[in-house]
This record gives sequence, C-alpha cells and structure tokens, in this order.
Amino acid sequence: MAAKQRIHGPYKEPNYLEVTKGLKSWMLTLDHKRIGMMYLFGILFSLIIGGAFALLLRTELWSTGETIVGQDTYNQFFTLHGAVMVFLVIIPGIPAALGNIILPIQLGAPDVAFPKLNLASFYLWTTGALCLVGAVPFGGLDTGWTLYTPYSLGGDVGTKTPVLIAVAGVFLLGFSSIFTGLNMLVTIHKFRPQGMSWFSMPLNVWAIYATAIMQVLATPVLGITVLLLAVEHIGHIGIFDPRLGGDPVLFQHFFWFYSHPAVYIMIIPAMGVISEILSTFSRKPIFGYRFIAYSSVSLALLSFLVWGHHMFVSGQSRLANMVFSALTFTVGIPAAIKVFNWVSTLYKGDIRLKVPMIYALSFLLLFLIGGLTGLFLGILSVDVHLHDTYFVVAHFHYVMMGSTLVAFLAALHHWWPKFTGRMFNEGLGKVCALGVFFGFNLTFLPQFVMGARGMPRRYWDYDPQYTIYHQLSTIGAFVLGISLFITVCYLMASFWTGKKATRNPWGSSSLEWQAPTPPTLYNFEKPPVLHEIYNYDDLVEVGENDWERIGENYDPDDHGDDHDHDAKPPDPEEPKIAVAKKIDPDAVPADQGPKAATAVEPPSAKVKLEEPAIADEAEAKVKATSDAIAKEVAARTELPSASDPDAQAVVGETLSETEAKAATKDEDKAKKDGES
Amino acid sequence: VSADHGHGHGHGSRFIQHHYDDAQHQFDSGKLGIWLFLAQEVLFFSALFVAYILYRYHHPEIYSYAHKYLDVKFGAINTAVLIFSSLTAAWAVRCAQLNQRKGLIFCLVVTIVCAFTFMGIKYVEYSHKIHEGILFGNKFDPCVSSGGAELLTKKNHCAGAKSTVKWDFGAKKATEGCFEVSALDHAPLDEGIQAKCTVHALKMAQRGTEWVEAGRTKIEHQCPDPVLTAGHHATPAAGHEAGGHGGGHKFPCWRPAVQPAVCPDLTPAAEAQAGGAAKPQAGIIVEYGDHEERGDDVRIKAECEAPPKIVAPADPYAETAQKLAVGQSSIKPREAMDPHTLKERESMGPPPEHTSMFFTIYFAMTGLHGIHVLFGIGVFIWLLIRAVKGHFTPDYFGPVDFAALYWHIVDLIWIFLFPLLYLIH
Repeated sequence: MAAKQRIHGPYKEPNYLEVTKGLKSWMLTLDHKRIGMMYLFGILFSLIIGGAFALLLRTELWSTGETIVGQDTYNQFFTLHGAVMVFLVIIPGIPAALGNIILPIQLGAPDVAFPKLNLASFYLWTTGALCLVGAVPFGGLDTGWTLYTPYSLGGDVGTKTPVLIAVAGVFLLGFSSIFTGLNMLVTIHKFRPQGMSWFSMPLNVWAIYATAIMQVLATPVLGITVLLLAVEHIGHIGIFDPRLGGDPVLFQHFFWFYSHPAVYIMIIPAMGVISEILSTFSRKPIFGYRFIAYSSVSLALLSFLVWGHHMFVSGQSRLANMVFSALTFTVGIPAAIKVFNWVSTLYKGDIRLKVPMIYALSFLLLFLIGGLTGLFLGILSVDVHLHDTYFVVAHFHYVMMGSTLVAFLAALHHWWPKFTGRMFNEGLGKVCALGVFFGFNLTFLPQFVMGARGMPRRYWDYDPQYTIYHQLSTIGAFVLGISLFITVCYLMASFWTGKKATRNPWGSSSLEWQAPTPPTLYNFEKPPVLHEIYNYDDLVEVGENDWERIGENYDPDDHGDDHDHDAKPPDPEEPKIAVAKKIDPDAVPADQGPKAATAVEPPSAKVKLEEPAIADEAEAKVKATSDAIAKEVAARTELPSASDPDAQAVVGETLSETEAKAATKDEDKAKKDGES
Repeated sequence: VSADHGHGHGHGSRFIQHHYDDAQHQFDSGKLGIWLFLAQEVLFFSALFVAYILYRYHHPEIYSYAHKYLDVKFGAINTAVLIFSSLTAAWAVRCAQLNQRKGLIFCLVVTIVCAFTFMGIKYVEYSHKIHEGILFGNKFDPCVSSGGAELLTKKNHCAGAKSTVKWDFGAKKATEGCFEVSALDHAPLDEGIQAKCTVHALKMAQRGTEWVEAGRTKIEHQCPDPVLTAGHHATPAAGHEAGGHGGGHKFPCWRPAVQPAVCPDLTPAAEAQAGGAAKPQAGIIVEYGDHEERGDDVRIKAECEAPPKIVAPADPYAETAQKLAVGQSSIKPREAMDPHTLKERESMGPPPEHTSMFFTIYFAMTGLHGIHVLFGIGVFIWLLIRAVKGHFTPDYFGPVDFAALYWHIVDLIWIFLFPLLYLIH
C-alpha cells in the first residue's frame, strides 16, 4: 500500500524510485509513475520483439523466392509484427506509459483518479501481451493483425494457428486500454487544480483527453468483436461464418469501428507531445492553442465516422463508399489545422535543436507525408488500384511509425530526465534521431513507389522488377533498427552513467517541471505554482540543460494567504496550487516595481532542504541562479539594488499583501471559469 | 480516522483514499468513473444490437419463425424481477445515505435474491433449449413445431421434418427442399386431397454415392390438424395435448402442413393461369410418438391424388372469399382463417435456412447479459459483506451508488432484450 509506505514530513521525501525498495514494492505499487515505468519497460521490450519481426520480414524480402524463411513462417512474421506493434507498442506507448507518468504531474495532482484500476490495467496489459506473444510457441498466428474472418475462424477453411490465444490477448489488452482511458478522463475532469481551466491545460493533456474518449468508446467494440470471434471459434455459433448464415464482412465493420479510432488513439497523443515539444524548443507560446485543442477532440469524434474507408473493396454499397470517402476527407481539416499551427509556432522561434526537437521536426515531415498519402487512399477510384498494395503499407507506417513512434521517442527523450533523474547521451541521441529519420524514409519511400506500381502487401514473393525497392527498403529497415537499438541502449545506460538531471532541463513551462527530479511519491514536495501555459518569458537558462523560473521558489505560504495562513508546513498530499501572477513589466509602474521582486527570493536554505543530497551543487547553482535572475529582473523592472539580499527580502515582504489578494481573486475567478 | 490510515486528514470515513481532497472529491470521481464505465458497457453491447438489426433486416422470416421458441412467460417474469431488483438497489443507496444499516442490508439481500431468481429462470430456459437442440450455428437441430406455438420435444413427437431449405441470398428466397417430400402433386391442405394421400416412410440405404430405397412402411394414421382442431386460441399445452395425448390417435401419423414463408412458389405461373396441374405449396409432415424418433435414414414420401377439376391456388393463403365464391371446387372449402392463424400455420413447417442465426444472437445477447448479472451478484455480495461490517456511512456510500448504477444498466439492457427477442410478431 502506497499509503503506508510514505514517509512523512515535507521537504524530506525521497524520490519515487527510491522511496521503497524491492520487487514487491514495484509489483504492487499504486504509484502512477512506477506503473508508467513498468509500462514503459514492457513497451520497449515489445518494441524490440516487434522490431525483430520487422527485420526478419525485410530480410526475407531481400530477394525473390525464399531468402530465409518459408511462406507460412513469413505470414506469422508479418502478423506478429503488426499485432505486437499495434497492440503492445503504439497504442499504449504514449497514453499508458508516458501519459501515466506525466499527466497527473502536469495537472499538479498526486496520482491518477483510480490507482488500483491503474495497476489492474497494467496487469491486464501484461497478461494480454503474454497471450499475444505466447501464441508463438503454440504455432504463432498468421491471420494478419486484423484477424479477418473467415480465415481466422479456423476449421476447414481458416488458419491452423491458435487464434484463440491471441484473441484472448487482444481482449485483455482492449480492457487494459479502456481502463487506462477511463482513469485519464476522470483524472483530467476531477484533478485539475484550482485555477487551471480547460483552456489552460497543457495540450498534451488535451490530446490524452481526446484519446481517452476513443479508448473508452471504441475499444469495447473490439472487445465484443474478438469475444464473438472466440465464441465462433469454439462453438461455431455462425455469426461470422457464412456457411452458417453469418456475415464475415460484419467482422470487418466491427473491427474497423474500433481499429479506425485506434489509429487515432495512436496518433493524437503523439500530436499532444509534439505540441509541447515544439513550443518548448522554439521558446514561443504554441500558436493557436484553442485550435489545436479543439482539433484533437474533433479528430476523436470524426474517427468514429470513417471506418468504412478500410472496406471500399469489401463489397460495401456504393452509397456507403461515397459517404465514407467524403467523411474521410474531413479528417484532413483538423489534421491540417494542427500542422499549420505547429509550423506557425516554429516561425520566428528561438529554435533549439535538442534531441526531442529533432524528433519533433522529423515528426512534422513524416506526418505530412503520411497524412497526405492518406488522402490518395480516401479517393474511391484511386483506392481500388492502391488497396492492399505497399502504398497502403507505406502510408500507415508513415502515420503509425513515422509519426507516432517518432513522437513517442521525442516524448521519451523530453521527459526522460524528469522521470529517471538522469540525462541521456545527447550526442548519441542526435545521431540516432537522424538515423531514425533517414532509415525510416529509406524504408518506406520505396514502398510508395512499388505500391503504386502494383506490389501487393503481405506477399512472400514478388516479381523481379520490385527487387530494387525491396532491397532499398530492407537497408533502410536495418538503419532504422540499429538506430532504435542504440537508442534503447543509451537510454538504459543513462541510469548508470547519465548526469543528474536538473529540475527543468529544457525550460518547459508546464507543472511537471516544477516537481523534483525525479518526482517524490506524491509528485510535489510543495504545492506547484500555476503559471500561464506556454509562456517562457520568466524562464531563464542558468546552465547547461538547466532552466529556472524567476521566482522558482515562490511560496504561497509566505504571503499571508487568507485560508492557509495558519497552516503548518504545506501538506504535500494536497497540493493547493497557487496562481502566480504573470509578470508583466510593462504593466508595472516603476514605484510598484517590487511586484516582480516577490518572485525574486531564492532562499538558498530551502533549496538545501529540498535536495539535501546535492546540497553543494545546489549552493553553487543557487548563486549562479540568483545572479542570473537578479540581472534579468533588474533589466525588466529597474529595481535599484536587486543584488542586495536584504533589500530583496524587505521588498518581498511589503509586496506580499497586495500580491496575495490579487492571487486569491484570480483563483476565485479561475475557479468560477472552471466550474462553468 | 483509523490507525491504519494515520496521516491525519480529517476525512470523515477511513475509506477516503489519500490522493483525494475529501469525501466529496472521491465520490465525484467515482461517479464520473462509473458513468464512463457504463458508456463503455453500452458500446460493448452495441455490436450485438447492430448484428441483431442487420440480420433481422435481411432475414425477417427467421425472426418471425423463431421467436415462438422463446417463452414469453419466462421473459416477462424475468423482466419484472429485474425491474424490482433495480428498485431495491436504488433503495439501498438511499438507506446508505441515511445511515440505515438494516435497511441497506435488507435491500441488498433482496437485490441478490432477485438476481438469483433471474439466473434460475434463465437456467430453466437454457436447459430446455439445450435439451431440444434449439441452439446456435451447426448445433441447431430441433424438431419442427407442429402446434404452431410450441416446439415439441424430440423424444415425444418429432415431426421428422428438419430444415432442408436452401436459401438463395441473391434472390432472397428459398429455392428448394422446403419439404423432404417431393412427390406431392396437389395441395394437400384441401380436405378432398388429404383423404387421398398415401404416405410412406422410406428406409434409405447408401449404395455408392447414392441413396436408394431399401424398404417402405405405410403410415396409416392421420393426425388431427392442430390448428384446425384446437383453433388459434390454443395454448401451447392445449395444442400439445390435442396433437399428442388428448387426441387419442396413433403414432406415427401424418398431416398436411403449409410450407414456411420462405419456401418458393413452385407453381409455374403459366400453369397456374392455365389451370393446369399445380405444384403444391404445402406438404406432409409426420409425427412420431412419445418414444419414437425418425431415423436420419428415413425419408417421407407422400402421394396424393387430385380431385376432379380443381384449380390449386398459386398461393394457398390467397384463398379468398372471392375465389370461393366462384365455386369451381367440388371440395368443401377450408374454414377461413384469420391472419394470425395463417401465420401460425406458416410456422408449422420446417424452419427456414439459418434459423440458427436467431439463436446465435439470442444466446450471445442473453448470455453476455447473464454474465453481467453474475458479475453483479458478486458485487452485491461484496457490498453486503461490507454493509454488515458497517463500512457505509453518509460520508462514504460510493460503492453502493456505483453498483446500483451498474445494476440499472444491466436492467436496462434486459428491458431492450425482452421485446427484441421475445415479443416479435
């Protein structure tokens, strides 16, 4: 029980990785960060398995005829590659792993709404993953990840592989996803701090919100579909079996009713983290915040209306085809809105090419290609030619892998220092990021060409005219695979060799960067201060990968805040979030200059208390910090003697009254906003 | 604040978890959570409802034929039981809110008893169907109904006419094999013809790839027409008796039956118009006695003689007053039947092809619903144990509220299932 484990007293809590030890403390943890970390390792492990299947596939396709494996084995390779990558890697990648770790901290919350459910989701995921991969020793699975009937029904017409085990896995994975989504929705609704309205949430939170809607509303359809498939498999009930009067195309309808939203479950969280990263590393507020937020939600809603575009050649009526085709094009609108806003965010930004940013820029390009080629496939006449060719394969890899996985890597590098407390090797990181980008394009650009020329997907053999494209693709896959492998290696190595990360290595503005690095069990050792979202004006670079906010140590309790005045040291379990007034030098008259100086209070004593282990480092840093901050503030507010600590303290004291009142007022207003 | 949750929070109940602000926060979060879960449940069931709609749209004859296999009485009782249990579940929430522990325990017990009653009735229904082979997919192997209202058990008098209907999906009609008998030259529903039918049970044997006759037994007796004798008011039991024990006739017996709705009009249009020999729209089915069963290698063959100068109607149901008024027939006309009776007669024949699909959907929907009821029983027992321990207070009654909400949706789903499956007409 996490409740029993916690060590009392403010400012003395160890971080969540060290708060308790032992396997059991991890296996039974209710801490969202530990659960997220376990997801993350599971996902990275699955990525290696899925990747290995991909490389085996590409190796087999190096030459015509048999290169390394026979046809049946090849079928199993592409099936397991698809199933593992979709169900185990990219669907849970950002929402379950990174979302779990980051989302509650971004909200300033101590945990997700339902920690036990969260752990249950993780074990559903683990069991599901074992079933899915466990099908391999029982003969693998060769239906394709889509499990189309009647082939998946087995018997005398279908596959001989153990569909049932894999289907059980998919069912469990589905419910893992549903419960994660449910947890995220409730957390976002009920754990937003006072003062954080819907439109001052980080866009990552919006994206996870939109994702969670789809997880909760679409995944149950997958659940019932695979349940029916399983029952059909065991009992021959006939619902999908045409020999018994069933309709195999109904399976496709059900499957894509889930699996199309699933594609958006994969891509929307990616868009969320990209919004965070592009803004942070351009040092500019995100352009068109509301448009990006709304476009996430509208993508989520549209995702339920376009499943039929997977079935243009499955015997759908012509009318249905036309409707689905038209609806498919509407998806382009919110997607384009996002891309335009991201590009506008970059425009005239102070772009810093850190590793997460390199991945984010790759994402922009790859998503553009992936998205636009999707429009080709939405055109009915073109789709008849391109359906089930490598063009489709290339298209969805640009979206699922080129966009989602690259965004996952961007997010992983972005938040890695925060949740592990270690910096990764940036040089290697940049090389690998470029390796991923070029390797990816080398793999999949030739597939567009051969697809357009008629190379069908999922074929073990091919006409010699396609050899060159397949070989380019295989080379690219290995470049990609090696880059990813090195990435996993240096990330793991950072646990032992990485430099200790600072509280805010990238100068990002959202709440998680106010938490200690790594966060404590309940995330914050004191209530975080809510600042205007995506405003980087107050953030100052004080060292390599070290940013601090002017007045980082702003403490609401020092203000004589009305209701908390008598409070003992702030209770870390219930972080009440103080609303910091935005520092606006233009609006501050010279005689009220000290307003900004409230924030200028770097009490070295407190810093020591917070991080006793690195007190020496901290002291040195604090000096540098206070100098830098003082300079900055002096420049802004023309404070006469900012470097004089006594003067600062006095000034800070006098200001606190007015400041506190203003803050309370804002808080009330924000609360009303939030409620309305 | 109890000792095992020692970080003085000032929460009213010891079940308020540490990461919530207060009891209200925990309750609100739980409530939103359960509503989302219910939304998920609706979507979980939605696929089955979609399947129901699609198959009913494409094969209405299956639904109108098969619904009579379900017992409305049992369905109605179950509906009432579930609605009542929803009331007690809601009442339990109120009791918890008011700190009435005894009332809470009572309501929970009643809810659990109702849930068990529901499952008990379901058990009776399911076991009946399993016994009679009224199942899904290729396990659908029933005898056809002879009373029009109830399926007779195999061991009693299986009418021996299993479905051999071939369904043409393109033309949306059956093409062949509506009855196993093919030697009927005339519509045997007319009394004059019935009298002249000779019915044989042919014992078939396989020679190479072909089945050939290896012997025949004449079936002497004629069964009373269950519809005409019992009338359409006949309850299933009455029909059963009339056809089985009450009638006093001997088994096996034969009687004419109308082809089911899906069977094609085999009368060539030209012949019908010219008044030539028409192909029958009805056939003969054979009923067996209590302990007999028709072997799979036995075929029924019937030959009926034509009365003089009869024009068989192209559609036996279109036998209207106008036609009778013409007075061409030398035979005493059949008693006019109202549409309901006609419908009943229609479903006396063998089931249309893929009737099993109705039961696929029936078992999938009610089975999944039953699993939800079972899960609900578990939850309510857990609540009962906690209620006995006195865990629930006006400060902390979330679990009762959430379980009641869950129970309402289980109830609601049943309220949709009952008319969709049992009350089709």
